[in-house]
Amino acid sequence: MTADATKTAGTPAIICENVGKWFGDFAALRGVSCTIEHGEVVVVIGPSGSGKSTFIRCINHLENHQQGRIVVDGIELTNDLRNIDAIRREVGMVFQQFNLFPHLTVLGNITLAPIWVRNQTRTQAEETAMSLLERVGIPEQANKYPGQLSGGQQQRVAIARALAMNPKIMLFDEPTSALDPEMIKEVLDVIKELARSDMTTIVVSHEMGFAREVADRVMFFDYGSIVEEGTPEHFFTNPQNERTKLFLSQIL
Amino acid sequence: MVTPPDPPPPPKASQHARPPFWRNEVILKWVVQVAFLTAFVWLFWIVVTQATANLRATGISFSWDFLREPPGIKLSEGFNTDPATSLEALAAGMVNMLRITWSGIIVATLLGTLIGVSRLSSNWIVSRIANGYIEFFRNIPLLVQIFFWQAIIISAFPDLTAERAGAGWIIPSPKGIAIPWLIPQAGRWQYMALIIAGAVIARLVYRRRIDLQESEGRETHAMAWGVSVLVLFLAAGWFIHPVMGVLGWLFSALAWTMGAAPVLVFQILLAAAAIWAAFHYIKGYLDRRRTPAGMAKMTDEDYFRLSLVGVVGLAAALLFISGTGDTLLSHVLGRTPFFNMNWGLEPLFDFLASRFDFSGGSPLRFTRPEVVVPTRFAQYSQEVGKAFSPGYLSIWTGVTLYTTAFIAELVRAGIMAVPKGQSEASQALGMRRGRRMRLVVLPQAFRIILPPLGSQYLNLAKNTSLGIAVAYAEIVQVGQTIFNQTGQALAVFLIWMGFFAAVSLILSAVVNYYNRKMKLVER
Ligand SMILES: Nc1ncnc2c1ncn2[C@@H]1O[C@H](COP(=O)(O)OP(=O)(O)O)[C@@H](O)[C@H]1O
Ligand SMILES: [Mg+2]
Repeated sequence: MTADATKTAGTPAIICENVGKWFGDFAALRGVSCTIEHGEVVVVIGPSGSGKSTFIRCINHLENHQQGRIVVDGIELTNDLRNIDAIRREVGMVFQQFNLFPHLTVLGNITLAPIWVRNQTRTQAEETAMSLLERVGIPEQANKYPGQLSGGQQQRVAIARALAMNPKIMLFDEPTSALDPEMIKEVLDVIKELARSDMTTIVVSHEMGFAREVADRVMFFDYGSIVEEGTPEHFFTNPQNERTKLFLSQIL
Repeated sequence: MVTPPDPPPPPKASQHARPPFWRNEVILKWVVQVAFLTAFVWLFWIVVTQATANLRATGISFSWDFLREPPGIKLSEGFNTDPATSLEALAAGMVNMLRITWSGIIVATLLGTLIGVSRLSSNWIVSRIANGYIEFFRNIPLLVQIFFWQAIIISAFPDLTAERAGAGWIIPSPKGIAIPWLIPQAGRWQYMALIIAGAVIARLVYRRRIDLQESEGRETHAMAWGVSVLVLFLAAGWFIHPVMGVLGWLFSALAWTMGAAPVLVFQILLAAAAIWAAFHYIKGYLDRRRTPAGMAKMTDEDYFRLSLVGVVGLAAALLFISGTGDTLLSHVLGRTPFFNMNWGLEPLFDFLASRFDFSGGSPLRFTRPEVVVPTRFAQYSQEVGKAFSPGYLSIWTGVTLYTTAFIAELVRAGIMAVPKGQSEASQALGMRRGRRMRLVVLPQAFRIILPPLGSQYLNLAKNTSLGIAVAYAEIVQVGQTIFNQTGQALAVFLIWMGFFAAVSLILSAVVNYYNRKMKLVER
């Protein structure tokens, strides 16, 4: 614990140095470097297939990066299972397709990892789960199964499930892309509330209004690398790169 | 937690206007059901009367009498190789069929799971080998495979000769394969009872540890506990099994009760039980439809099912009661009762009572197989070791390896049908491979696999009838010999059908039970 604390003090939340990733011959990430500070909120945008998902999936080792260094909260991501476990303890993730466990209730989904990975008692885990469900606004759905919820409710359960592990960093991979328009707001509101707390947050999103409102920094990905980054201010009013301009003109 | 407001009550009755009866879905459904049932009974009646008439014309009248007569055959193997009646011969054939079925199902399930998981392995060689196995065994007709194994056994091993006389460990020959075996001794009944008790207790301990783990959140090593308890019973039971001799007293007491109480009592009890079971089912069914706001509206299926259960329950009760009437009548008329409802429980308990005593000694004896030369020909010893016949080996290996290939495919498909996101989500939550499989992937894969797995079990059971091709004395082979000798084809067919239907129904009942359990968890 003390070792962790000293690590946290000075180091940034995430350091990426020249990260590269290939799928066969195809280079999905081509030398990505960035530093993300604790409490920072980063919104990642970019055309489809530009490597945004691959990038954030490398951060919790769902993908294995093949070049460069990734250091999360002072722990370097290597093939060492101990490091991978340690980093996954720090990092929570929310997926585009929710990926809730259909055979468990909402409460079962949220408490599964705290009980089996964190060795919490069931009562303790359920208490935490209920307070998280209050936080995302659906405590009354606790005993339903995922299949009985709307998309927006499912995604909020997924957020609560990730938060139950008490992570320091949250990764969101297009959390609203699979939702009907009227449900996008309820999910974004939850993420906004999180971003305003001191959670380090990386969100892949095409919701420009949301990016403008909560991002400390916006990164633009294209062809597997960061083409341009800056404050939302700079980004939306005065982009420098041609490709950024083209992308923004298409999306806005 | 916020309690949601009570839902509004469901409507008590249909609020639609009534359509004319020929367009009324409910009425039509009932009419079709009843018409279908009538047609079925009628057809069955025609077939049976016709078949009996035809048989009579050929001079063979349908009767079950041959079952009580000597079969005129010896069985090549089984618990009763020299049966006194055809019934005994058929029973030995049934047991031979079940011997293959149960062990085949267990081995095919384990091996199939292993190969199915290997098929998905990231290790290229392992996955190729598994794939080769599946393709090979799935694509060659089962009968060919069975002949193949028989040919291997008959041609590949050296003959049993006088020079090979003496004990060994594994002795293959064209007469089969003999291996070391644990031979049950007198104490096995006590030992078996102890092991059953041990298994039940181990299961309780396992559940208790799981509950503890869930409520206190520390690793409680539930599996290790359960296994240790079982091992403890297995080990200690070897020495203390005579204590189970008390069961002998229990069974004698039960047998005495059965003998002392008049048959009437059982018939009345059975009738009451039938009515109670039907009532219980209907009540439970209605209870599940009762919401705080009143009864949910019942569908036609509900009504149909409830009336069916009611009718069947009443019919069973009537049957038992008429049995009672029959017994009373036979007292008056002095003839033997037509329905004998003691159900052989008294002899059964007598039999069990005679098996349990307080004698010590090891319940099982380890023996090595031996080749003996009692006459001019060398053969496997009947007393020590265990010799499997070529017929048994080829049919067992054939159906088991064949079914294994299909089960492997099911397991693979089941695991692959669980979306990748499930595994990724649990990975992101920090679960390692074993937990991920056990808590997230397998529960979902199992739900998908279970129904087709049941039909693979049925296939295995039915395919044992190919034993006839290699002269393995299972029910079909024995039955065929008997009907060749007696001409009672119809009776033998009915016995076959009844037996295979019973086996299939039991297997499906077990699979359906688990299937329902899994479904309930789902929604
Ligand atoms: N598992 C994979 N195998 C092969 N190619 C992949 C895989 N995952 C992603 N890719 C490819 O890598 C590129 C980047 O993908 P991704 O990071 O998902 O893009 P984005 O999230 O920005 O849309 C895409 O061209 C995609 O086709
Ligand atoms: Mg993506």
